[in-house]
Amino acid sequence: MKQLQDLARKLLSDGTVNVVIGYESGPRGIRPAFITAPEQADKLVFNIHCVQNLATYLNPRRKQITQLGKVAVVVKGCDARAVAGMIREKQVERGNVVILAMRCGGVLENSGTDTDLTADTVSVRCAGCTDREPKLFDHILGELPPEPPVNTRRTDQIAALEKMTAAERWNYWTDQLSRCIRCHACREACPMCFCVKCTAEKTQPQWIDPSATPRANRAWQTMRVLHQAGRCVDCLECERACPEHIPLGMLARYVADAVEKRFDYVACEDPSQAAPFGVFSPSDDEEFIR
Amino acid sequence: MSSKVVEETVSSWSPKVLAFVCNWCTYTGADLAGTSRLKMDPNVRVIKLPCSSRVNPLFIIKAFERGADGVIVSGCHTGDCHYSTGNFHARRRFAILHDLLHFMGVEADRVTFAWVSASEGNKWQQVVNETTERVKQLGPFGGFGKREGGGPQ
Amino acid sequence: MTHSFLSHQGFAALVAELLAANKRVIAPVRAQDDPEQVDYMPIQKFEDAAFGLRLPRRSLKEFFLPPTEVLLHYRQTKAGIEIREVPTEAPPQVIFGATPCDAAALEVVDKVMGWDYRDELWFGRREATTIVSFLCSLMDSTCFCTAVGLGPESLRGSDVLLVPADGGYLAHVITPKGEALLQGHTAEVPAAALASAETAQSEARKKVENNLADIPAELSGWLAANFDNPLWKTLALRCHGCGACAAVCPTCHCFDIVDEHDSADSGVRRRNWDSCQTSLFTLHASGHNPRQSQSERFRQRIQHKFSIYPSRFGEILCTGCGRCSRACPGGMDLPNLLGEFVTLAQTEPEVSGQ
Repeated sequence: MKQLQDLARKLLSDGTVNVVIGYESGPRGIRPAFITAPEQADKLVFNIHCVQNLATYLNPRRKQITQLGKVAVVVKGCDARAVAGMIREKQVERGNVVILAMRCGGVLENSGTDTDLTADTVSVRCAGCTDREPKLFDHILGELPPEPPVNTRRTDQIAALEKMTAAERWNYWTDQLSRCIRCHACREACPMCFCVKCTAEKTQPQWIDPSATPRANRAWQTMRVLHQAGRCVDCLECERACPEHIPLGMLARYVADAVEKRFDYVACEDPSQAAPFGVFSPSDDEEFIR
Repeated sequence: MSSKVVEETVSSWSPKVLAFVCNWCTYTGADLAGTSRLKMDPNVRVIKLPCSSRVNPLFIIKAFERGADGVIVSGCHTGDCHYSTGNFHARRRFAILHDLLHFMGVEADRVTFAWVSASEGNKWQQVVNETTERVKQLGPFGGFGKREGGGPQ
Repeated sequence: MTHSFLSHQGFAALVAELLAANKRVIAPVRAQDDPEQVDYMPIQKFEDAAFGLRLPRRSLKEFFLPPTEVLLHYRQTKAGIEIREVPTEAPPQVIFGATPCDAAALEVVDKVMGWDYRDELWFGRREATTIVSFLCSLMDSTCFCTAVGLGPESLRGSDVLLVPADGGYLAHVITPKGEALLQGHTAEVPAAALASAETAQSEARKKVENNLADIPAELSGWLAANFDNPLWKTLALRCHGCGACAAVCPTCHCFDIVDEHDSADSGVRRRNWDSCQTSLFTLHASGHNPRQSQSERFRQRIQHKFSIYPSRFGEILCTGCGRCSRACPGGMDLPNLLGEFVTLAQTEPEVSGQ
């Protein structure tokens, strides 16, 4: 869209940034774009196919990107929450990133195959979005589209699981996690998984076996989701990256809902918000404690 | 397995329960239970930590991995923490762990969270005996394969 | 190689016979989590198979090199350390409905598995397996098997290739194993079947050969000469280093070996899938990492597949199945990249690096 392209061109020509991370049209659909020259700014697009969370590219471990210099990043409201999280946890300095926020009315679940935003095609994470008008930005662009349709597939799935017995739930996750091959693509794609040394890679002692066995897979996914509690922005990059199509987003959503319900906390766009487990309330729920 | 074999295995089985307790309150309370000669099931193995907030959820997962059928996590009552705020942080963490374990199919009765103070020898006895009884009812943890009676998916 | 004819009934009867004899039979089936997708899975009855629906999401690799497998058990006793290796003979199995790209991949990987050390576990399973491929009808715009010297009609790696014909299949019987499998289930080839099979084969080729032009021999040398070309620095910026590509790739075969203890004095040694795309892959114990960023790691992937493996074994370590591109969450697109490399190799062979 022209507004975004013009802004990118300006930021690059006047040297404000060295690279604009946004979306472009690739051979297989919309994909992340790294615009380093003003004349390339025309490649930038923004539409309902722009599902990726580009905040993940701000991870300081990605040296091939940090080497490029000062960065501008195109974000939707949900992605801006991830940027806020990275600033909150000192991975990114607010002054080192120019945030180009796009007003958004929802994105597709399968951007490769679908073309219209309907209750079946919209991403499950768009339901109930409160960030259509992003609050964290240096520049805010675009017209505000109408509210996205609501895709209840995931809430239905979670509700169905809640109705099962413990043994049925155990078997469900054993089945789903039996496909996990411990490739850790979920971790690499996640903007909030930025640890230099992941808990799964500690070897002295080895808390989590690296092999793709039922017990190790369960330990790995449980710990990853717990480490995301209150930090995950539900961008579903983990689920999109998983080559085995494990419904990781369901676990993340469940824990995010638990954190919200118990502590009235949602990872928001304000970097000065405290981390959920760095604070507490004297009146936190303790109904589960004997 | 035939039900006869299950019965035989279950009757000769005694649960293994791992307890992660804080040094200042619960461990002292457990000690009091012992010196008071309170009768407790012998199934609980105690691991002493400086504070309940030292408990990493990984410990609980690892306990089940390595053969525990049940887990107890216990510390000081809120407001009494030797390190002032440790158990407040721990409470938040345990809450989410409790919810996630439930969602992933670990029966709630297998993991007991408790606050036991240094003077609550009786409460420790209660926590130990009731946890052991609840875990006995549930049966062995059974490892990480599929559960019997798990029903259609 | 010989030809015979396998009728539809003959095919069903063959599979039923194998299953009745308790042989392991693997075929494409509708995926459990998504019935629109297909996975290679063991089947219990012929009707479970879903032939000709879609390219299976994962390759055949996992039946020969599982994502994790035990190599040996160890136990420390007063007398010393007892080691029990796992058997290398595998029970016989038959794979029906393999795609030619997946079958060929096995032959390509055989080269490294039998190179300086014979991998007994890999070859135990290779020897125990009979592979029946189908002429591929599942291609889409991401496939490029013809570009890497294969094709939807390729015989490589298969014991039998079935080509749909009137009333059944024309069977290209490629190996003695294939012949033994089909024994007693085939008939004489009807007059028109050979000709119609050839037509079907060339039609299939036409569907995929326009996706990417044949990769020329000079690409391998160009890649080696351009190891330090600055283009590598910006080529893979969108790559997450997640390794999903390696997981779904039929020819990626790297593995990691770990020891896992069950108790203080016993445990297992396992080998697990690994990928050069992860940051840990080349991390030294000193903390030094010769492949510091994703740029170097992505370069390694391309170099290994299209330059290093060819110069060592005379084979491109890729069968053009396109899974890496379909799986990539970052939008890396291998056939597209290869096309660009080939153009560079042909137009700027003397690009200087630094």
